[in-house]
Amino acid sequence: MKTRSITLYVNGEANSLTIPVNRTLLQVLREDLGMPETKYGCGTGECGACTVLLEGGKSILACLTLAATMDGAKITTVAGLDEDGKLHPVQEAFVTEGAIQCGYCTPGMVMKSVSILAKNPKPTEEDIRRELEGNICRCTGYVKIVQAIQKASEVMASTR
Amino acid sequence: MSSRILPEFDLLVPQSIPEAVEMLGKFQNKTAVMAGGTDLLVLMKAGLESDYVMSLSEIPGLDYVIYDPQEGLRVGAMATLAQVVENADVKKYYPALWQSACVNGTPQTRNKATVVGNILRASPAGDCCVAALALGGKVVLQGAAGKREVDIDNFWVAYRKTARQAFEFAVEYKISANVGKSAFKRMTRVDQDLAKLNAAVCLNMVGNVCQGARLAVGCVAPTTVRVKKAEDILKGKEINESVLKDVAAAVSAEVTPIDDVRSTAWYRKEVSGVLLKRTIEKALA
Repeated sequence: MKTRSITLYVNGEANSLTIPVNRTLLQVLREDLGMPETKYGCGTGECGACTVLLEGGKSILACLTLAATMDGAKITTVAGLDEDGKLHPVQEAFVTEGAIQCGYCTPGMVMKSVSILAKNPKPTEEDIRRELEGNICRCTGYVKIVQAIQKASEVMASTR
Repeated sequence: MSSRILPEFDLLVPQSIPEAVEMLGKFQNKTAVMAGGTDLLVLMKAGLESDYVMSLSEIPGLDYVIYDPQEGLRVGAMATLAQVVENADVKKYYPALWQSACVNGTPQTRNKATVVGNILRASPAGDCCVAALALGGKVVLQGAAGKREVDIDNFWVAYRKTARQAFEFAVEYKISANVGKSAFKRMTRVDQDLAKLNAAVCLNMVGNVCQGARLAVGCVAPTTVRVKKAEDILKGKEINESVLKDVAAAVSAEVTPIDDVRSTAWYRKEVSGVLLKRTIEKALA
């Protein structure tokens, strides 16, 4: 087949799509669904800018996923993290800790951070750094990003 | 050619193993078989063309990692590196495979990339490849006439070429039980790099005496290779500093690396022996 009809759930909404089979999930999100919050970085699985979550908080790269093979999948992008306009604790912590410079890597960083905390609510600094291995920030570094994840971990523990 | 856009192809999404075999029988070498896609899609973005891509993603029941104390380990074609990393039996009984999966790619790619895919990619730098070669085991290939098993020793026939026929696809990699003490190590600049050198060992020990060893090195030949002269040195010997020194020298003498983008032949020759020696020490630690 050259095109495939799929149902893709993004941030809780069902989308019925008929797409060329060679389109990546990233292209479908950004271009077909008009959701540019997931970023294109390297396109080859090195940088993590296009990180999105599957059900259960598993992080994958949208640039290395064929959208046509995602029939029925439930995807969360960074735009789906807030609840009733209130930022997710990870987003909030990125703001308060100043873990952002140019912001381009931020959606991927935030999604990866959410997946880290879903698997391990109390990660050590070493855990965080190891898990962030596939997310590259080219502005400044990772100190504030690590601090933001630690902060989010504390906030989430206290409100649980 | 672009890292944004994939070339055109026809997608095949078989819903069962018989359907997959039928499709492969029809389209044969015009088909690229895709498991996780983290390698294939990068290759295609870099210019690899294939008329058909056959995704295994909708064939149920291929994503298993099963350990049995008698039968050993079975890793299905869709079992991800992340599944292997999370498997306590792999960590305990096949540490070389576990360690190689832990550092292969990044957390995101490990959620999709598969052990079997890494083996089928047949790269001399594959981390799971070098671990598999040290551990031994077999690749299970499925064709229309049924399954056949190919010893990992005979599986890679040349650079990026395997014993798989165009009408077959790999459904499983399996390793027998009680393979011995094993470990994996590699050299990179940063963790997510492809290896400039990697090594894995599997040692059959009685006390401190090595009854037999499988020593594998990657990035030093067109395929991952065993260093058999070094294996012979270890056999029947008590492992001590002087034996390890002989093993390291034999490894460096036996390998035939090249210069490429990640390292030089000279460095690889010098360091492969040291890396293998340290991998033996890691396995025994």
